[in-house]
Amino acid sequence: MSYVIGADCVDVLDRSCVEVCPVDCIYVGERKSYINPTACIDCGACEEECPVSAIAVDRVARRDEALNVHLEDSRVFFDLPLPGRSEPLGDPGGAQKIGDLGVDTELVAGL
Amino acid sequence: MNGPDRGTTRDRHACLSFVTTYETDVLIVGAGPTGLYGAYYAGFRGLTTTVVDVLPQPGGQVMALYPEKDIRDVAGIPAIRGRDFVNALIEQAAACDPTYLLGRQAVTRSPDNEVTLDDGTVIRARAIVLTAGIGTPTPRSLDCGAEWVGAGVSYFVLDPTVHAGQDVVVVGGGDSALDWADTLAPIARSVTLVHRRAVFRGHAATLDRVRTRTRIHTDTQVVALHGTDRLEKATLRSKTGEETVIAADHVIAALGFISDLGPLRDWGLALTSRSVAVDRSMRTNLPGVYAAGDLTGYDGKVKLMSVGFGEVATAVNHAAVDIDPSLTLFPGHSTEGAA
Repeated sequence: MSYVIGADCVDVLDRSCVEVCPVDCIYVGERKSYINPTACIDCGACEEECPVSAIAVDRVARRDEALNVHLEDSRVFFDLPLPGRSEPLGDPGGAQKIGDLGVDTELVAGL
Repeated sequence: MNGPDRGTTRDRHACLSFVTTYETDVLIVGAGPTGLYGAYYAGFRGLTTTVVDVLPQPGGQVMALYPEKDIRDVAGIPAIRGRDFVNALIEQAAACDPTYLLGRQAVTRSPDNEVTLDDGTVIRARAIVLTAGIGTPTPRSLDCGAEWVGAGVSYFVLDPTVHAGQDVVVVGGGDSALDWADTLAPIARSVTLVHRRAVFRGHAATLDRVRTRTRIHTDTQVVALHGTDRLEKATLRSKTGEETVIAADHVIAALGFISDLGPLRDWGLALTSRSVAVDRSMRTNLPGVYAAGDLTGYDGKVKLMSVGFGEVATAVNHAAVDIDPSLTLFPGHSTEGAA
């Protein structure tokens, strides 16, 4: 169970979602933010807050081809090493303490 | 099942100190749905119960995140508004007269299950059930000026009058930031509202009032705080890189909250990832300390209220036997005792 941020976030990167996330599980890349699916508590606060309606719950995202791509891409962001890094991000236990990552997945970087 | 030694929770003021000590059979930490149902269940087992929560109102995530939304996954209740559901849980628990200590945080635990709250209150519990959900909400900090927290930077406005005559900077774009800017505008010498984005999330009516009474900097962040003995100035930087230094006697950071385990992290609880590890009786690794609901983690865990209700019933029934070994684990049927 998790929310997912779709392509509409790219280059908008508004971060309102980051501010309202009660468990600090939204991580900022270079052009887009990513929700850590293992830490998300499914509360939906970010979906309501997003000014470009880029966020959906996974149950809905799975039925939408464009969003489903980002559901898989969120796992890539956390579970595989990001470009230029040797280790995967994993679950850092909170976005605020590590700050902006400044890097995106290959998929997002290529958009 | 009420033994003669199990009266109501006693509130004993020690003669020579201001520390209030409560004695209770079961201490429930967290007044969300799971904790409230645990309070009912402990009462049903004839146990005295004390419920602590850091938030000022019971209801946990339901009240904090979706009080007006319909909940549709509680057995036997097709749909109920979050707020109404919490009230029903409080009413159900009220039959057993739990003591609520709200707006206070459980901070430390001694090996014999004496828990001290952040206001110094001590609770001597015979068993503890942790139903703390996603944990304690902690204010998000400013990116700069950590050294000024408590002496020029705060996260709340407890008493608006202390800001009389001050140049106050409020940071944030949600309801709290707008409400505090609105409240302080007639009291402070000046109020400057700083928000990282162009758009505010708070109520439009409040924003309209605030616009006429404060200076607003949007697309702007506070990047540095300055002062010698006390805070004097703040540097703001706009999205375009333009810097402005403004007078600032006090900065109020209203940037929202992040929840985590908080003080429970230091209790020595065995954790799995960010959750508290439990066995099938919902016991933690600490003697007499149980956990239930979203706080707990184990293989196959599903974080739903329905699951929390089952877990807390398991926890409380095991705790009942711990407290009084003459009791049976199975509580009997709730239909038996109904008046």
